[in-house]
Amino acid sequence: MNMARSVSILRRTFMSRLHGAMCPKSNAATQVLTRSYMRSFTTSAKCQDAKSNIGSSEENLTVNFINRNGETLKATAKEGESLLEVVIRHHLNIDGFGACEGTLACSTCHLIFDQKAYDKLSSVTDEEMDMLDLAFGLSDTSRLGCQICMTKAIDGITVRVPTEVSDVRRDQVEKQNKQ
Amino acid sequence: MPGPSTLTNLVEFFWRDGFSRIHELQQKHIHEYGRIFKSRFGFQFVVSIADRDMVAQVLRAEKDTPQRASMESWQEYRDLRGRSTGLISAEGKKWLTMRSILRQRILKPRDVAVYSGEINEVVADLIKRIQTLRSQEVDGETVTNVNDLYFKYSMEAVATILYECRLGCLNNDVPQQTLDYIAALELMFSMFKTTMYAGAIPKWLRQFIPKPWEEFCRSWDGLFRFSQIHVDNQLREIESQMEKGKEVKGGLLTSLLISKELSLEELYANMTEMLLAGVDTTSFTLSWATYLLAKNPQIQQTVYNQIVENLGKDVVPTAEDIPRVPLVRAVLKETLRLFPVLPGNGRVTQEDMVLGGYLIPKGTQLALCHYSTSYDKEYFSAAEDFQPSRWLRHGYLDRVENFGSIPFGYGIRSCIGRRVAELEIHLVLIQLLQKFEIRTSPKTQSVLPKTHGLLCPAGAINVRYTDRREGQ
Repeated sequence: MNMARSVSILRRTFMSRLHGAMCPKSNAATQVLTRSYMRSFTTSAKCQDAKSNIGSSEENLTVNFINRNGETLKATAKEGESLLEVVIRHHLNIDGFGACEGTLACSTCHLIFDQKAYDKLSSVTDEEMDMLDLAFGLSDTSRLGCQICMTKAIDGITVRVPTEVSDVRRDQVEKQNKQ
Repeated sequence: MPGPSTLTNLVEFFWRDGFSRIHELQQKHIHEYGRIFKSRFGFQFVVSIADRDMVAQVLRAEKDTPQRASMESWQEYRDLRGRSTGLISAEGKKWLTMRSILRQRILKPRDVAVYSGEINEVVADLIKRIQTLRSQEVDGETVTNVNDLYFKYSMEAVATILYECRLGCLNNDVPQQTLDYIAALELMFSMFKTTMYAGAIPKWLRQFIPKPWEEFCRSWDGLFRFSQIHVDNQLREIESQMEKGKEVKGGLLTSLLISKELSLEELYANMTEMLLAGVDTTSFTLSWATYLLAKNPQIQQTVYNQIVENLGKDVVPTAEDIPRVPLVRAVLKETLRLFPVLPGNGRVTQEDMVLGGYLIPKGTQLALCHYSTSYDKEYFSAAEDFQPSRWLRHGYLDRVENFGSIPFGYGIRSCIGRRVAELEIHLVLIQLLQKFEIRTSPKTQSVLPKTHGLLCPAGAINVRYTDRREGQ
């Protein structure tokens, strides 16, 4: 009984206190709190290898995505921004792209680069490599878009979204059904 | 579509204790019926898939909110007690919301890397514990039932991350609160089979056979109580820090309490379910890795040599060091191929799909047979053998494409604790091998796997931890 009550009191104070604490007009102490929270966690798909100009708000770089239907989607990008972030920010219509939100749990943001651009990209981690193993339409110049950050060196690149390979079995069944 | 009859299945599971041999039955049925077959399980119709390409097809076709299987009894308990669902038991939008919040904190490798220090402290305690335990044996080297030891390691390591506190599992005297939790956890797993049976029994029968359901609720009560205590403790700690005007620093739980993206009930539920999912899974895998290394001394020596050459004999490793010892990663992958903790996983189809030439309607329960694909000779040469080197890349572009062995799953509903588990296992394996040579002893028996919810060792794994000598 006592336990339950103290927890419910605790809960109420928690709610009210933290609500107060997280309001925009917070005092200095809670600002420190918010900052330290922001520090200990990478809260977005920000690239770790983009050493300079993180947070630069200038959109002075460009990327071209060739979508599955062959259409070219041109987008502006900021330095240090990942290709996944570019796709999300511009609401580019690439079906199923970046399902795991850059947490290296899938390979839906798989992109194919031309050799010249590929050679300029940051090195690939074991975890990205493992996920690429499970990507379809893999090529020698494949990378995951969530791991690639825009830099001046690759400004203006064109990347290709791998086309869905047609499923042989489905074709067979459709044929059978027609017969 | 071919498959065993309902009657055969009933006899197999209820009469011949098929539950503990689910992984073997998978292989048997595939041999008889092929890589896709149907079976009926009481009222439940299941299509089993043991084809790597079909598994890939199913997982790649997933949309926003994949569904694993019906978790009705879990849901029912939560409704009964006014509790929230967590990542295991939730479905649909609710699941996606919680997943999105949690994955941004504990799934990215670099977010997890910061826990190296905390995990290494637990590793140091584990090594001390091994030294104590072996000194109690006649030969001064053997530790019996290593899973008991690794269970405590995994629980301690997960708790440092989830609750930001130490539980004292590896102390000589384990605190009562922790013992209570372990008892609840054991009850949970000992009842797993009973609840499987109970799940097949209609609800109205509970008034005649009430025990399974009562025990199910009792063990959940214990699990929830434990995480609630720790969440509330942390909450009090944060409050007192704030009252003193101090800067509040912390890890996962602190950030979740501060950000308020999850309600307190959702936090209790997710902490409960993540702890539940993060203990046995890691400890079974460590037990098997220990067993396999003891049984394959030459392979163990190769791994040890790589550690010494690339890291050093007694350098305490961190996450950043792991890429320099690819054989350690390979040992984990190969251990999980031979003993996938989850021998099979479920998916409910979200739309009609054609699999292996069959039209599978929306809403069909699929069983992805990971155990069988892991041992498929077409996918893995010498599939029965422990060969970590098969996972090494021999060049930058070398691919080891394989949906045959995906122990953590793939995609948006894959294991959220994957990177935590990997780090816990990589760091402990390196340090165990730096310190000890793991050897078989006269007490080492042949141990086979059995399915008990998870794939676990059917017997005790007993090995010797022999100190590494100078120049070894």
